[in-house]
Amino acid sequence: MVEMGEKYNTKCPGVKRLMREAMELAEATEEYCARPLEDNLFEWHFTVRGPVGTDFEGGVYHGRILLPKEYPMHPPHIILLTPNGRFEVNKKICLSISGHHPETWQPSWSIRTALLALIAFMPTPAEGTIGSLDYSPAERKLLAKKSNTWVCSQCGDITALLSSTAAKPPTEEEQTVLNQIAFKGEDEQARPAPEPVFEPQNVPQYAERVLESSDNTTSFLDQLTEILVALLVGVIGIFIYRRWNAHMPVEPEL
Amino acid sequence: MSKLSPLFLLNLKMADDASSSSACTGNLIENSVNQDELIMKQQREIEKEISESIPLVGDLEELSSLEKEYNEDPVYMLKVKDLASKYKSIRRTRPDGNCFFRAFSYGYLEHLLTDKKEYDKFYEIAKNSKEILVALGFPQFTVEDFYETFMEVVQRVGEQAGGAPDELSSIREELHDKFNKQGYSDYIVVYLRLITSGQLQTQHDFYQNFIEGPRTVTEFCRQEVEPMYKESDHIHIIALSNALNVGVRVKYMDRGEGSQVIAHDFPEGSSPLVHLLYRPGHYDILYA
Repeated sequence: MVEMGEKYNTKCPGVKRLMREAMELAEATEEYCARPLEDNLFEWHFTVRGPVGTDFEGGVYHGRILLPKEYPMHPPHIILLTPNGRFEVNKKICLSISGHHPETWQPSWSIRTALLALIAFMPTPAEGTIGSLDYSPAERKLLAKKSNTWVCSQCGDITALLSSTAAKPPTEEEQTVLNQIAFKGEDEQARPAPEPVFEPQNVPQYAERVLESSDNTTSFLDQLTEILVALLVGVIGIFIYRRWNAHMPVEPEL
Repeated sequence: MSKLSPLFLLNLKMADDASSSSACTGNLIENSVNQDELIMKQQREIEKEISESIPLVGDLEELSSLEKEYNEDPVYMLKVKDLASKYKSIRRTRPDGNCFFRAFSYGYLEHLLTDKKEYDKFYEIAKNSKEILVALGFPQFTVEDFYETFMEVVQRVGEQAGGAPDELSSIREELHDKFNKQGYSDYIVVYLRLITSGQLQTQHDFYQNFIEGPRTVTEFCRQEVEPMYKESDHIHIIALSNALNVGVRVKYMDRGEGSQVIAHDFPEGSSPLVHLLYRPGHYDILYA
């Protein structure tokens, strides 16, 4: 940590915050441990224990945490490295509030919140979310067993990283927060900025959420545009077809 | 036609994407969530673009700078005129959803530099705020982190508060500098958001009446108050001005009828120390 202090501007609140979190998490607990890489305060490695009473019981899972430079204003990204049957490995996943309000990370959450949430979220159904895997219980149990021999190229034997005695369970308030957090893969394809999708069933929703008005005329106009486009394409089709016919006489002249 | 066809192609492409990925997104709810996220992603990109072009808190400008914005708009020109009869200058803030908190804290700390008595009152309230938040169940570890940075700035103001006007220029510069450093500036915003949330939750019976729909006060705080970049409404202003016991006057300038810019004081009947200009979706600081 001393070297870190030399390398980063400790006056910067984000850096100060990460160094405090590193101190707080320095002592491993039974459920999780995490620490920054020696040369990079913005990348951490973590280890979590599979929750007891689930397919992941007995498993020990290792991964990376990538912190955005805006942390804690923006959420950390998590990448699992140990095959587990619940999340794809080597894929960025991020926390979101489950339900209708995705991406409402709160700066008062921390890396600990993220790890506790990850542990709590592991046994939930994958339901086809991006970055999720739907392996059978048998496969997950097998992976849990295998995970004990998994070795991190940087941290070595991962089972040794967790404490066997120190417990630091979530507080009551933390638990209510954890129950709302979901994880999903980040869409890493560099998609173009999403243009309005002119699918009739999506239009009213889109209009409502973006424009914050449930104005029906908007969706009606969008649908009208779509119909017009379809008509124009049709007309052009007919036009081309006729031109084509004009150039290639198909009927033999009598 | 040439204007429409790319959209049409895009439409086809999107439809294609949707059908090929339907295997993993199965149901409509999942789809609408993805839609939401795409929209939010787009919103964030727009926000980022804005943030790169406007300082978090700008320099003091003559009020007449507003006239340029509304040139040839008679409704707004009348209102700018009305505003100019009461205020000399304006300080703009970055429209990033945090503008109320940023404008309020900047304006208030600036005022405290010239009002030692008010500073002492505020210092006591600020000092006790952390305990209130921790008692409400906010994580001590992170609350402390925000609190310390917030108090660091407050105390810097306190060291110079009430000093001779010509000796305040260096602390004014320092304050301006801190408010334009994303790290400090956002930490102050976060802490004020926490204080606001704390006030709403402590007095939840009262504030529940202001919340539309089925949300509880706690849910509202988690979704609309504590996250960064969430815009502020009346309820945020009422809660923060009550929590800190500071009067705020907001001048509402919109397309509404008449030539007057309507003022609203929070809490009602208080004598305002901070004056803000509200234009739909945004707050700037006003100076008499």
